[in-house]
Amino acid sequence: MGGMMSFLERTFSHVPKTYRCGWLMPLTWLVWHRAAFPKAKEALENGEVPVGCLMVYNNEILGKGRNEVNETKNATRHAEMVALDQVLEWCCHRGLDPRTVCERTVLYVTVEPCIMCAGALRLTNIPLVVYGCNNDRFGGCGSVLDIPSADLPHTGSSFKCISGFRAEEAVEMLKTFYKQENPNAPKPKTRKE
Amino acid sequence: MEPQLKRRKEYECDIDSWVAYPVLSNEQSQDIELIEAFAAPIINKKETSRLIKELAKVYPLPGLQHIKRVRSCKDKGSPHPLEVIVCLASDAPVIDRSEELHISDLSSSGRLNCEGLGDPFLVKIPACPPLTRPQFEQASKHWPTSFHEDKQVTVALRGQLFTSSQKSKMQEYMMAAVAAARAGQESGMEAVGAAVVDPEAERILAVGHDCRQGGHPLHHAIMVCIDLVARGQGGGAYTYDKYPACQSVLPYSLPSQKQGATTTTCGVVQDGDSAEESGEPYICTGYDLYVTREPCVMCAMALVHSRIGRVFYGTSSTDGAFGTKYKIHAQKDLNHRFEVFKGVLDQQCSDLNRPVHYIKINS
Ligand SMILES: [Zn+2]
Ligand SMILES: [Zn+2]
Repeated sequence: MGGMMSFLERTFSHVPKTYRCGWLMPLTWLVWHRAAFPKAKEALENGEVPVGCLMVYNNEILGKGRNEVNETKNATRHAEMVALDQVLEWCCHRGLDPRTVCERTVLYVTVEPCIMCAGALRLTNIPLVVYGCNNDRFGGCGSVLDIPSADLPHTGSSFKCISGFRAEEAVEMLKTFYKQENPNAPKPKTRKE
Repeated sequence: MEPQLKRRKEYECDIDSWVAYPVLSNEQSQDIELIEAFAAPIINKKETSRLIKELAKVYPLPGLQHIKRVRSCKDKGSPHPLEVIVCLASDAPVIDRSEELHISDLSSSGRLNCEGLGDPFLVKIPACPPLTRPQFEQASKHWPTSFHEDKQVTVALRGQLFTSSQKSKMQEYMMAAVAAARAGQESGMEAVGAAVVDPEAERILAVGHDCRQGGHPLHHAIMVCIDLVARGQGGGAYTYDKYPACQSVLPYSLPSQKQGATTTTCGVVQDGDSAEESGEPYICTGYDLYVTREPCVMCAMALVHSRIGRVFYGTSSTDGAFGTKYKIHAQKDLNHRFEVFKGVLDQQCSDLNRPVHYIKINS
């Protein structure tokens, strides 16, 4: 038991105090975050960049997304954008104000959100993002730019990030994908991806 | 001549009323960085070539190949017409700056024969080679510097990159974005409009306006346009049927018409990415985007993901990501870079943010 507690202490020592309501909160994160992986696998099986996510409000999943870029021929259809659409729709059906709901919704995603998605998360006032591995190519939560804490007074609200959950597993899936390459993209000689 | 005149009237404004300026990377647009060095007058001209050789050995200036070691004296009345960089201030021995410096202090324990050199003085020299003409002009005020000029950048910075006929096309496309912005404004949206253009075919492929008030906080004009282009290519995630001013057209008038030949001959191909073997359009590769105001960071990155060719906007915005807060199009580490220009129809675009009646009185 002592070993378990020190593991948790180490794992969550960097978590902001406001989110550390005992150990219950971090454990809940682990569980939800794990649930985002099947969506990433589904993306991989469909020839999409394997990223999956969940959006959770009051212990209820309001949105589940995976990359749908090739399917829609729209390069902005990242997992987070797909899930956000479902959250907004959920609000619309219930006549709830999206902002009020989003302000209490947590995003669990296998990979660090890109710069675009980080912008979208600010604009929708999502307060917290729990993610797995870093995104060296496009990462908007510290890897390329730090959008969540940037001084952007007209771009929604800043948000907090907690990272490192099952990072190796997320990286492995990305590696598998980039080995088999994006079949729908044209194949010029200089393609760097 | 006559059709040209007619055309101009149609737009209610002259193409000379605006100028498109490039939004350059920080490296290209920032003030040049300066470092301190010691220079000294050459008081005996005959020693010049020996001094230059010895200085290169004793005090090489690594990474400063752009710096010319010798300059002719600024003060024409000076008895010594040449001055030479002796060493960087950081390479000089620690010297009490309150005391007068003597050239022998820089002899590097006698390794440098200071014969022919006058007493040194501090100068500031450019730390990096200048990348643009304004940087070159700024650098040259401090110390002579070599400059490999990119003529296109120089012309662009003067606002002279585009010909009149190119400008009238650009104006036509931006007018489409402005018209969409107005239409959106009439249905209660924020007055922002955008258009995606195929510059080879000289065709507008999609026009859209801000649709946030329609219940979706992320439906910025650019996001709408990107999805409309996807729809035109047989994809898409949304329908904008509620908004008649948001429209897409098929990229080619005839499905059988192959564009392969024109793709290879045209200069707009970026990064070799639009050299499509199949001739099928791939997201926004090779297309231009016109938008009435500088995009936010979400939209700017959406354009990177969509592999847009070039971006033109009217006016800057507070949190803008193509010049104001970020330069996403020139961001290090991102795998797709492109040119961005601002100022296209800037007056008409900034008028969009004013009350409607004011514009009507004026026009
Ligand atoms: Zn993303
Ligand atoms: Zn935007």
